[in-house]
Amino acid sequence: MKKIYFVSLALFSVVMVSAQDFTKRLSEARTSYAAGKLDDSRFAMQQMLQELDILTGKEVLKLLPQKMLDQSVRAGQDNVSGASGFVGVLIHREYGGKAAYDSTAIQLDIISNSPLIGTINALLSLPFGMGSNPDQKIVKVNGYKALLSKTSGSNDKPEFELQLPLNNSLITLKAPGRSQDDILKAANTLPVSDIAKLTQ
Amino acid sequence: MLKKLKEKAENAANKALDKKADDAVGNNGNNNNGGTNGSGPSGGNNGPKYGKPSNKGGAGLVSAPPDVNENLASAETAFKGNNLSDARYAVQQAMLGVELQIGQNILKSLPATIAGLKKDSMQDQVTSTGWGWAGLTIQRVYVQGDKQFTLTVANNSMWMQAINMYLTNSGYAQNTGGQQNWKQVKIKGYRAVIEYNDNTGYKLSVPLGQSSILIFEGINFASEQDMMNAANQVDIDGIKKSLGEK
Repeated sequence: MKKIYFVSLALFSVVMVSAQDFTKRLSEARTSYAAGKLDDSRFAMQQMLQELDILTGKEVLKLLPQKMLDQSVRAGQDNVSGASGFVGVLIHREYGGKAAYDSTAIQLDIISNSPLIGTINALLSLPFGMGSNPDQKIVKVNGYKALLSKTSGSNDKPEFELQLPLNNSLITLKAPGRSQDDILKAANTLPVSDIAKLTQ
Repeated sequence: MLKKLKEKAENAANKALDKKADDAVGNNGNNNNGGTNGSGPSGGNNGPKYGKPSNKGGAGLVSAPPDVNENLASAETAFKGNNLSDARYAVQQAMLGVELQIGQNILKSLPATIAGLKKDSMQDQVTSTGWGWAGLTIQRVYVQGDKQFTLTVANNSMWMQAINMYLTNSGYAQNTGGQQNWKQVKIKGYRAVIEYNDNTGYKLSVPLGQSSILIFEGINFASEQDMMNAANQVDIDGIKKSLGEK
């Protein structure tokens, strides 16, 4: 309980600092623009975008479930990082045991605002493309189309990966050692429409 | 000329198709809901009898760059209202506005002629995605007859990574034997890569600072030296400064 309290406090502090950073960068952007320093103004705006993406990432983490299947969240593994506009912001969460490293942990990654997402969307919109790859199929998660792929596990046991694109964001769910049905069940606990509203 | 011939052929084919369709619709006219008796939405006997009307005019799209101050104010309001998505959009629009202005300033700074070729203002282009992936690109074309010189400035672009690979990878250094299609050169003190292709002509790529690249393309330039002389007429230091590069 104490641990959760301190983690929440740390998270809240980071959010407050980010809000101040945004306001500071906004002021820099305005001042530089007024002085004709266009490149400095642009740089300040890039920093503003970065702050917004980090704040959005933290809001998304708050929306995610505390439990997935029978696993609890590994709060120490929560992470929001990235470089907006180049490879997007990466939001990472794991569900599993308490050990420092858990190879069977369910891994949830959300890349927001990444220009690399277009290919998944293209795959999902092809009416005939899915037939040619037996290891992939289109499924629905809370009404959203997603791609379920079979990948090789560590003992040649099939493992599954689910990718759900939302315009220029991508949700990826991996559940080592779990069945197709399990991964779909896990994915359906995600508040996809709420995540979509925050990241669009 | 070939293009015009092709257009004429296409128009003739379309007219033939229209006539066949008109004949078919005329035979079944009583079964359709409307627009089959020569008075379709486009009006009169000149409009299509069976399909949608053709556009005859419009005001086009507003091409003014986004207002930077207005969008910064919107971003502030959205942020205070905890609407992060709208704040993000507004900041992107503001950045777009600034980048377009940077681009226009650079275009204004470029010479009116290079190597006797005049600028073609109709082909001036400033493109910005409002985020750092493809970044800002600026293009100016100089042309006279069949000779053309194109200058492209790409800022915050991933393109320059490829060129830096050329410059740092010894495998791309000059060869002593065989056909030499690329080599490292220097222009106004900047390291660059020049390439030549019989179909596309000369291409000189100059990385600038940490995230920008200048690309010169020359069609029907007589020699490498001609190409370099043309490129030397561009104020590379000035462009670098405008982009905020060090």
